[in-house]
Amino acid sequence: MFTRGKGTGWPERSPAFPAAATGADIVCVDHVSKAFGTGQTRRIALDDVSLSVQRGTFVTLIGPSGCGKSTLLRIVAGLLDADSGDVSVLGATAAQATAAKSIGFVPQTPALLPWRTVLDNVRLPMQVNRKANDNGVRSPRDPAEVLEQFGLGRVLRARPAELSGGMQQRVAIARAFAFDPAILLMDEPFSALDELTRERQRYELLQVWQSNRKTVLFVTHSVAEAVALSDVVAVMSSRPGRIRALVPVDLPRPRTAYTETTEAFHRIVQSIRDELRAAWQDGDD
Amino acid sequence: MIESTQSPPEAGRRRPSATGPQPRPPRPAILIRAAQALRRVEVWLPAVVALALAAGAWQWYAIDHKYVIPQLQQIFGQLWDRPDFYWRNMLVTLRESVVGAGCGVGAAFLLAVIMTHVRVVERALMPLAIIVNVTPVIAVAPGLVVAFGFGLTPKYIITAVIVFFPFLINALVGLRSVDRMTLAVFRTLHASTLEILWRLRLPSSVPFLFAAARICLPLSVIGAVAAEFVAAGEARGLGTVIATSASTSDLRTIYASVFTLSLLGLVLSALVVLLERCVMAWHGSTNRPH
Repeated sequence: MFTRGKGTGWPERSPAFPAAATGADIVCVDHVSKAFGTGQTRRIALDDVSLSVQRGTFVTLIGPSGCGKSTLLRIVAGLLDADSGDVSVLGATAAQATAAKSIGFVPQTPALLPWRTVLDNVRLPMQVNRKANDNGVRSPRDPAEVLEQFGLGRVLRARPAELSGGMQQRVAIARAFAFDPAILLMDEPFSALDELTRERQRYELLQVWQSNRKTVLFVTHSVAEAVALSDVVAVMSSRPGRIRALVPVDLPRPRTAYTETTEAFHRIVQSIRDELRAAWQDGDD
Repeated sequence: MIESTQSPPEAGRRRPSATGPQPRPPRPAILIRAAQALRRVEVWLPAVVALALAAGAWQWYAIDHKYVIPQLQQIFGQLWDRPDFYWRNMLVTLRESVVGAGCGVGAAFLLAVIMTHVRVVERALMPLAIIVNVTPVIAVAPGLVVAFGFGLTPKYIITAVIVFFPFLINALVGLRSVDRMTLAVFRTLHASTLEILWRLRLPSSVPFLFAAARICLPLSVIGAVAAEFVAAGEARGLGTVIATSASTSDLRTIYASVFTLSLLGLVLSALVVLLERCVMAWHGSTNRPH
């Protein structure tokens, strides 16, 4: 279990964090590099990135645009292949992890099926790749119950088009929660929402997560969001994409909107801003 | 959680009205909309006026040129006197276009599904399909008559070929117009190709298939009539009626047949639109390709 950077192998700030594979690691990214394009247009998206995510922790990747945070998430999700380095999810490859339905992916847009009701959208993960349904590890939850937990109990029979953007995104998150994957990968799930909705979504997610501590790897470009949600924030720099620092967030849980007013919160936000600014300057030269 | 306390009908009101018919409930909504449209004079009056003007112009010209076009009452008189004659021949033409278009659409859709998944098939067959498309099908019709006689077969072939290409292209675009993010969700669940086809690609392509159907149905009637011109069929059909009436300069029968064909086209198009409205209400998507 992760204990907020004190003596568990999480150094306070270390650009080259050793990806020591321990039993508690759900995700282990080991010296991964990835480039796009060839010749003149070749761009290194990720350069020798290592990271590990321990069971039951909420880890956030943050960084300027083009720092490869989404690329890293897509590699872990098995949607992209790394050029070099290893990724293991639950001790297996990303492809094996998706085959076992161990990964719950929440993309930037809700990505719901418009012809299905909210409830049937949340049922979808159990309806495809059925042979991975009873792997003995997963204990899928009742979709209606999960939707209830996300405050969507009254719109079970509604179509996605009838819901607001924030509600649609909650359905997408509920879809990933309900089939009980070992890890949730969230790629800027709130980026399409307006600022006020976004803040509310943050705490709705926290509320559910705090009652059911799934392992989460989260991508965002909002510092406040990262600090409010995470146990660890990995600050990335761009061109090439590297993990510049791992900032532990030792704020007590459960966190609420009130947490954002505390001094400790602002201190951590400030330290991440400093890292981002430094990353920005590094990227310029 | 203010949002979630709203009931679905209230939430539904948030849909922009510009996206077309309200999604649910489908049929009453259409009827209500139609009734509302009828109550608003400015909606239907322009069309009625234009139609009346066109009829008046026709009539005015026909009175002095009875060897160019017959007068309207003569056309309707024809239809009134021999309704079963036109009905019977209309059914023949309808059968040719529906069976032919059905075969063409079915083949095009099957090929589109294969092309979506096997790139080699697309590269191999697309040039061939384009050649078939740019070849005027009517030019092949006499050859088909030589090969298959005056029965229904050459008519089926011509209507099938004429709808094949437009449907193929629309179906291909539809099957590929899958939301990238949704596809990523399916991939991370390790959904099989068949599951992605059945649960994502096919439903996503529905709006495109309807757009194609709107193009293909009138095309199929054109194909059937043109085929009958070339091969005056044993079973007759309105195209045959027109061709034989032309040889005896029977303008009334010609235009009565043309009018019947227009009516047939209108009914077929209306059926497609109605079906589309119902299915799109089920579909719930606002992503329409037209």
